[in-house]
Amino acid sequence: MISSIPEHTRRLFLQRTGYGLGAAALTSLMNQDAARAASGPLNKLGLHHAPRAKRVIYIHLVGSPSHLDLFDLKPELQKRTGQLCPDEFFDLTKLAFIREQPTLLGTPKDDKYAFRNCGQSGLPLSNLLPHLQGVADELCLLKTLHTDQFNHAPAQMFALTGFERFGRPSIGSWVSYGLGSENKNLPGFVVLITGTVLGAGNSAFGSGFLPTIHQGVEFRSKGDPVLYLSNPKGVSDAERKQVVDTIKELNQVALDDVSDPEIATRISQYEMAYRMQTSVPELMDIQGEPNRIHEMYGTQPGKTSFANNCLLARRLVERGVRFVQLFDQGWDHHGSVFNNLPNKTRQVDKPIAALIRDLRERGLLEDTLVIWNAEFGRTPMAQGGRDVKKAGRDHHKDAYTVWMAGGGTRPGHTYGETDELGYNIARDPVHVHDFNATILHLLGMDHEQLTFRYQGRQFRLTDVHGRVVQDVIG
Amino acid sequence: MAEGVPDFSSEIRPILAENCFHCHGPDEQARKAKLRLDTFQGATTSGDLGGAITPGNAGESELVHRIFTEDADELMPPPSSKRKLTSQQKQLLKDWIASGAKYEDHWAWLTPTRPDVPVVRSAEKVSTPIDAFVLRRLEENNLDFSPPTTADILLRRLSLDLIGLPPTPDELDQFERHYREDRIAAVEAAADRLLASPHFGERWARPWLDLARYADSNGFQADQLRPSWAFRDWVIRALNANMPYDQFTIEQLAGDLLPDSSLEQKIATGFHRTVTCNVEAGVSPEGNRVNQVVDRVNTTGTVWLGVTLECAQCHDHKYDPFTMTDYYGIFDFFNHTPLEVQLPSNKTDVSHDFIGPYLDLPLTPEQQQLAKDLDSQISILQQNRETALKAQEEDYLAWERLSSESAARQGSWEVLQIAGFTSTGGENHEILKDGSVLLSGTVPKTTTYTVETTTTLSRIAQLKLEALANPGLPGRGPGRGDKQRPNFVLKEFTAALRKDGSDLPVRLHQPRASFSQRSWDVAGLIDGKPATGWAINPQFGKSHWAVFDLVKPIDIKRAGTTTLVFTLPQDWGQGRVIGNLRLSARSEASKDPSLPANLLAVLETPSGKRSKDQKKKLRDHFEKSNPSLKKIDDGIARLKKQRDAIKPSQSLVMIEMKERRKTHILKRGNFLNPDAQVTANTPALLPGMKNKASGNRLDLARWLVRNDNPLTARVAVNRWWAELFSNGIVATLEDFGTQSEPPTHPDLLDWLAVELVESGWDMKHLLKIIVLSNAYQQSSRITAVHAEKDPRNLLLSRAPRFRMDAERLRDNALAISGLLSSRMFGKPVMPYQPPGLWRQTGRNEPKWEEQKDENRWRRGIYIVYRRAAPYPSMVNFDAPDRAACTVRRARTNTPSQALTMLNDPAYVEMALALSDRILIESESPNARIPYAFRLTVARQPSPREVTIVNKLLTDRLSYFKDNPGSAEQLLSNPQFVYKPGHSSKIELAAWFFVANALLNLDETITRN
Repeated sequence: MISSIPEHTRRLFLQRTGYGLGAAALTSLMNQDAARAASGPLNKLGLHHAPRAKRVIYIHLVGSPSHLDLFDLKPELQKRTGQLCPDEFFDLTKLAFIREQPTLLGTPKDDKYAFRNCGQSGLPLSNLLPHLQGVADELCLLKTLHTDQFNHAPAQMFALTGFERFGRPSIGSWVSYGLGSENKNLPGFVVLITGTVLGAGNSAFGSGFLPTIHQGVEFRSKGDPVLYLSNPKGVSDAERKQVVDTIKELNQVALDDVSDPEIATRISQYEMAYRMQTSVPELMDIQGEPNRIHEMYGTQPGKTSFANNCLLARRLVERGVRFVQLFDQGWDHHGSVFNNLPNKTRQVDKPIAALIRDLRERGLLEDTLVIWNAEFGRTPMAQGGRDVKKAGRDHHKDAYTVWMAGGGTRPGHTYGETDELGYNIARDPVHVHDFNATILHLLGMDHEQLTFRYQGRQFRLTDVHGRVVQDVIG
Repeated sequence: MAEGVPDFSSEIRPILAENCFHCHGPDEQARKAKLRLDTFQGATTSGDLGGAITPGNAGESELVHRIFTEDADELMPPPSSKRKLTSQQKQLLKDWIASGAKYEDHWAWLTPTRPDVPVVRSAEKVSTPIDAFVLRRLEENNLDFSPPTTADILLRRLSLDLIGLPPTPDELDQFERHYREDRIAAVEAAADRLLASPHFGERWARPWLDLARYADSNGFQADQLRPSWAFRDWVIRALNANMPYDQFTIEQLAGDLLPDSSLEQKIATGFHRTVTCNVEAGVSPEGNRVNQVVDRVNTTGTVWLGVTLECAQCHDHKYDPFTMTDYYGIFDFFNHTPLEVQLPSNKTDVSHDFIGPYLDLPLTPEQQQLAKDLDSQISILQQNRETALKAQEEDYLAWERLSSESAARQGSWEVLQIAGFTSTGGENHEILKDGSVLLSGTVPKTTTYTVETTTTLSRIAQLKLEALANPGLPGRGPGRGDKQRPNFVLKEFTAALRKDGSDLPVRLHQPRASFSQRSWDVAGLIDGKPATGWAINPQFGKSHWAVFDLVKPIDIKRAGTTTLVFTLPQDWGQGRVIGNLRLSARSEASKDPSLPANLLAVLETPSGKRSKDQKKKLRDHFEKSNPSLKKIDDGIARLKKQRDAIKPSQSLVMIEMKERRKTHILKRGNFLNPDAQVTANTPALLPGMKNKASGNRLDLARWLVRNDNPLTARVAVNRWWAELFSNGIVATLEDFGTQSEPPTHPDLLDWLAVELVESGWDMKHLLKIIVLSNAYQQSSRITAVHAEKDPRNLLLSRAPRFRMDAERLRDNALAISGLLSSRMFGKPVMPYQPPGLWRQTGRNEPKWEEQKDENRWRRGIYIVYRRAAPYPSMVNFDAPDRAACTVRRARTNTPSQALTMLNDPAYVEMALALSDRILIESESPNARIPYAFRLTVARQPSPREVTIVNKLLTDRLSYFKDNPGSAEQLLSNPQFVYKPGHSSKIELAAWFFVANALLNLDETITRN
């Protein structure tokens, strides 16, 4: 990698690099954090206990889908559709848009929206998710997530950073910080987005006070997949190579002169950048995938689609990227939920099911954790009047369903139960902090010990809370 | 310190803080066994056993027993806490207790006094007191200063540190000459020149704006842009003017409260209006406000006191002696500014309205000139108008007379008598004295009213339907649905004449109404289409009318009563039905159906009785329909629109409400959960306020910069030190509390803090004495001795080498390439950025519009800062999103940085300009490579470097000579705005690659 380094420089270099930061962390941290970060929060193996999952594909449905109509069917709610909701449900401090006492809104009873008990496990899933029904035995449903926030941006930050305001590292950054990257040519944390950027902006995948090397890097489907990846117009690959070689030689002269290990790091980063110019376009080009795969996912090379992102997610984890996060916009169905929801499920059902199958076929599912999450759930009450066709559902923070698959989770399992109207949790609540603690646990990390010292104290993803939900671990 | 006695501050407190204070510290709520170990008194007397420490007797101390025991139930810290003491730590605690368990106050809580300047062995190496402090620590560790760096590197260091820009070749030549003659005088002259430069403020504003979390957008969901840049300019100007740091503090925290505060002092309060603001519809405006106050308190604590007050928002601080009462005492200073968002004016909107206070800035000279020009054009047109008006006065009078006569002939409305009323919705009805029908009882989803009426009029030319407001209807009607929206939706209106027992349809036209809802125009009543109709949202609570002319007026030949039958179908649902209706007719239709309804009413009033307002309405209508006047009026309207568009720029500022809010401690920090009331006060631990009569922000600001405040000066000088030396004397710039890193040079920190206060808070003075020190002017070369004895450079055995921050790095490259614009201040700029990065949801989505003029080459501090998507190439170099106060940026070294420098079209354009500059400015072809190095890294290249660069250059030159088309293609990049002056495309193209490589050197982006 680096042709000659004086012995003392090598020693400095090694002091600044170390366990817990992975190979990608050829970075100079500052001050005492350097020493601590270098020694790492984790033990020699980089882990607190044996991991069940080595990588994560985390799908966040931005806006929050109606879990009641997809995963948590409520017959009593169907029965009472059109009746005014119980008085205690009508609490303006907990509703974003509804301003008058609303009526209850059950899932329509016709076959299109009906639920079917699927697979060996008999997991009930909506007919709106026909493909997911086919892999139901891989899913582990948590029906009792609850959060503290009911506006999009703060709730997104709360779900993803454990804090409702700006400034904290996202879960992907924590994982990258804890586990490092397995691939020298790619970042440890990659983000793929369909639709507009979510309300929390880059903070949803930012590294907060962690070194920025751990922030989520967005791979785009239009223009350069990574910003500034392609050569300037008129610059050939041979010319680029010569420029990079010249920079390297000149930097090497400086390194020999001043012995600053930072220069050695820069030399290696330029080499990685040069390799990324080949490896990233190669990764993003799904043209070469067999037809069978394209049919399974519903992918079309060159298009921007959620399906393409699912296939890219598989290609990324295959290449050792630790944490892949998919954001998909358009799930905030305040109106016409029974019309809008099927439009969205049609876009994601098939590719997600394909992703699970594909990972399984490649033997990757057992140590790849796939997550379906949103910032909150939706109300069992109608928003926008009694007309079922026009009705939507408002934000609901007190109970919603998410699921995990693979990565050591218990397949075909359901955890927790909501009340007969789906408004409150009946048993086994799972707070956002509990969910995050569980994800870290599956990755072999103790959420109480994965810490970073900042402003005089140790920060964690789960603040001072969080409890691992043992029951969802297989 | 006696031999073998552990030092409390540096050795004991860190152990106790890390392992014990969480349960036995200042937080009373969390305290276990009522035992506190953070004070001597607590440790020796509190708790169930009356103290855990017996000073001087380790054997009798419960603490010693508990940390050494092997009984897991007794062991401290308990195994469940996952904290564990090492045997060395246990021994230290034991020795400390045995030696008397002496507690010391944390150094940072005590007001600094000026320490004596130490005596060092190599006194000749001391040129300022700073050197003595640094050298003493070096000598203690058998180290020495590194030799002084070379003059060229030193000037580059000074320039980049003080103004954020590299020295020009001329400045380098001059400095080197002066340096050879008189080193000390040369450095001082250079420092003075740079400190007086207007670019000083641009460079030093950057770290301050990180602290102030200054950005040009709200943050959160829609992240709209907002005007704050006048505050950014204020910071630059204040720094350039070397405003004393105490004044700088007071104006930003409370400039609005100063007596006779100036416009500038008000702008300064933008410091705390930069906080993020959530306009998402579900947000509680009060919750948003409380979050903003919390941010103001926390940021104030971090910026001035270097303490993490936010820990005390929800519970007493775990480590530092700040209580919730302290926290909300500071909160009260900030708790009296107005709400900044309110529920949207349009209820269906997804965002709140942003209503926080703005300040109008004066018009710029260009704006003032434009306004003057427009005003004079408008006055010319107005004179023309007067002339034209006079000429047509007669026409007007004739028109008025004719129209009035026609209206008078129409006769008055006659209410049709109700002879029968049926409805299909099962309602009750009652006929009122005014001849109207009032509906009650069931509120049907759908209904059709059939109304049978009689009249004695001999001619019927016009019909009127009225939907009347009535106190008996919800929200006064006229609909019957709900109070909030008492609308009606009438789908059709048909009339029939009953003749000989059968009903003959009456055809209607010329529909008009008092008001029609958008998409529900009154014309829909007579178009025969059931989907269309008439409705009146949002003009609820008042009466409405619709009038129709009969296509063929009915003339009744024989005297007697005539019967007309009307049907009114209404099937919208939700009670959108008319609650009180009346029907009328009259014998003449209007002559001029184009006359608006309101004008007809005026014309019906006899001309002598018309009010001033009515007369004006007539005149306005006539003038509008006159073509020559209309042309003049259109011209005036267009100019006035331009004139009105000249608005002063605005800036967000703080204002204090007349009435103070009551401040409560908020349980768990939740604004819906208030506890005891508190009033403005400063933390009990620090020297108190002398006069807190008003308890406003001004009192707080003055307290912060009191000379005996132990923190403010130390925290400020430490940050400046870190800007120049990479590390702070206290490494944790953001935290001086008990959990902070101990200072590497405590006495130097105190000396600098006292120097700052005694110099009248003179920032430039402080910077100057630092850069004049030998410590600052050392070489940055790392030797084997350094690696061995001072690997992290905590002792300052050399000058630091570090990659520059994002803005400086870009400014430096722009300056090297010769592109940098020297224009200062004003609205944020938008240089090149890759397309598609500004996509968001929500209303008023801002657009990125790349500027193709000089603005694309302005300094980074002027680039628009949008929190959801800050300028991407700067983000790659660790620029924060400015959503929260940032004390120090990370300094990473990543592949995306390499990609940015190599490929970002902004840097590619700089490479082109640099190539052109080298070719044009070099004295001879042989001087080109040395000149290129001089520009990029301020020094001459070594022969080896010349060889390396020459290889690249000659390869490219020979390639482009053979392939001139490739050179052409490279230079015709459509993203280039810069137009090179050098004539040879082949040379430009070849040197482009050299320039690209040189701009990417580690040394170019490093301050060394």
